[in-house]
Amino acid sequence: MSAILDLVLGIITSIGGFVEAGSISTAAAAGSEFGFQLLWAIAAATVMLAMLIEMSGRLAAVSGQSMAAAVRERFGIHFHAIPLTAELLIDLLLLAAEIGGVAIAVKLLTGIGFQWWVVPIGIAGWLVLWSFGFGLIEYGVGLLGLVTLSFVVAAWQLQPDTSSLAASLVPSMPTHDYVRYAFLSVSILGATVSPYLLNFYSSGAVEEQMTERQLWVNRATAYAGICFGGVVSMGALVTSALVLGPRGILADSYEQTALMFVPAFGNWAIALFALSLGIGCFGAAVEISLNAGYVFAQAFGWSWGANRPRRDAARFTSAFTLVLLAAAAVAVIGLDPLRLTMISVALTVVIMPMIVLPFLVLMNDEKYVKSHTSGPVGNAFLAALTLLGALLAIVVIPLEILGG
Amino acid sequence: MDLVRDLLDKRVVDRNGRDMGRVDAVILELRGGASPRVAAIEIGPAVLASRVHPTLGRWVAALEHAFAVDDGRPTRIAVGGILDITDRVKVDCAFGETPASSVERRLRAWIGAIPGSS
Repeated sequence: MSAILDLVLGIITSIGGFVEAGSISTAAAAGSEFGFQLLWAIAAATVMLAMLIEMSGRLAAVSGQSMAAAVRERFGIHFHAIPLTAELLIDLLLLAAEIGGVAIAVKLLTGIGFQWWVVPIGIAGWLVLWSFGFGLIEYGVGLLGLVTLSFVVAAWQLQPDTSSLAASLVPSMPTHDYVRYAFLSVSILGATVSPYLLNFYSSGAVEEQMTERQLWVNRATAYAGICFGGVVSMGALVTSALVLGPRGILADSYEQTALMFVPAFGNWAIALFALSLGIGCFGAAVEISLNAGYVFAQAFGWSWGANRPRRDAARFTSAFTLVLLAAAAVAVIGLDPLRLTMISVALTVVIMPMIVLPFLVLMNDEKYVKSHTSGPVGNAFLAALTLLGALLAIVVIPLEILGG
Repeated sequence: MDLVRDLLDKRVVDRNGRDMGRVDAVILELRGGASPRVAAIEIGPAVLASRVHPTLGRWVAALEHAFAVDDGRPTRIAVGGILDITDRVKVDCAFGETPASSVERRLRAWIGAIPGSS
């Protein structure tokens, strides 16, 4: 019974926690500029994320170690220093973008400039991290995040042509602006497969003391939860394609993007968009901060855990506090949160091979996962998508920047 | 035993199972013509950083000195103090009594003053 409850809660929280600044901004931009054409990118990225999340849970359940701890132990500090630094820098940018996303959401509700909200949001995030254990943080974020299902409701109400949707699940070449199309494909991949999610999930599995007997729960939660979560992202793309695209509105700011809810929700549109954006980004901000604490503590062998009294894991607590403080400082400068998001998610794809490839090695090492190693098809799919994504990102990011 | 695979970078816990850090360095003793022998393990950010690059190691050591947490660091544990090596290295000491805990203790004093920390 407990396993079924874990499964249901796991799936619900995966759905509620799926959408945040990166997925909303990339899906909205893709929909407004290319219609349904980039739905395949969300589908591919979602499958990739589900596979990686399942693997990170499997690693934790079998070895009792999180991803960061296992990478340090298996590859040593010489190697680990590179992905560790890269991930922390990207996480810092992403965290600043998420805080900015919440601040914009509050601005949409109150009309008061977003920079005024950065510090209160940082304090609110820290209070959540200070006060609650892992379960409350994860389930609270996930359950509140169910408001993001409004993207699916909006898309449903607009009655998209199902045959066009199905056709868009197969990659196709755009009729215009190839560089932008490639950039958005890469950004969708980076927004969906955020590296922090992998270590966060494996750390959560260690905190919740997942065992080998629960591997089926892990598998079902990862695949069902993440795939349903992907549907929420697709809802954002479809709504944007049907509302913003035909009217020539570009999703180049959150204020513009919010207009996608108007046909479906009328007077409630802006408030509902603000709640979806705000709660989605706040949840992600809390998880990224907590993960920063996990990464430092696991890499250096400190006491860690959101379920421990904070004074008993003082360096872990200090690490997530300092990272949250640093990200709030970046956000308060006033950089456009949407632009910051797009830069962070595109750069994520560049560093992805450093995170995913060693992880694949771990998942094929019987010292860590015993007989539960990954299959050749999964290994090949993940390695190929990671490398192709990174190569494409290295080419299109400079072109996108040069093209303005 | 393969020192790099089975000892270096492994998690270290004290005799009570409390996390102390990781094996940041392995000290080998050279014995004339005989093969080297493991003399001790070390725990500490400066020695870890020096493995990445000696300059980085010096910077971290200077930082430890500036914050007055460098006394007795890195923490060296003689090979005789190792109780067992499994998925972690268990050593015969109490974390709180070693220099490895100096940063944790200082931060704990500050954090402990905030309501709700325990």
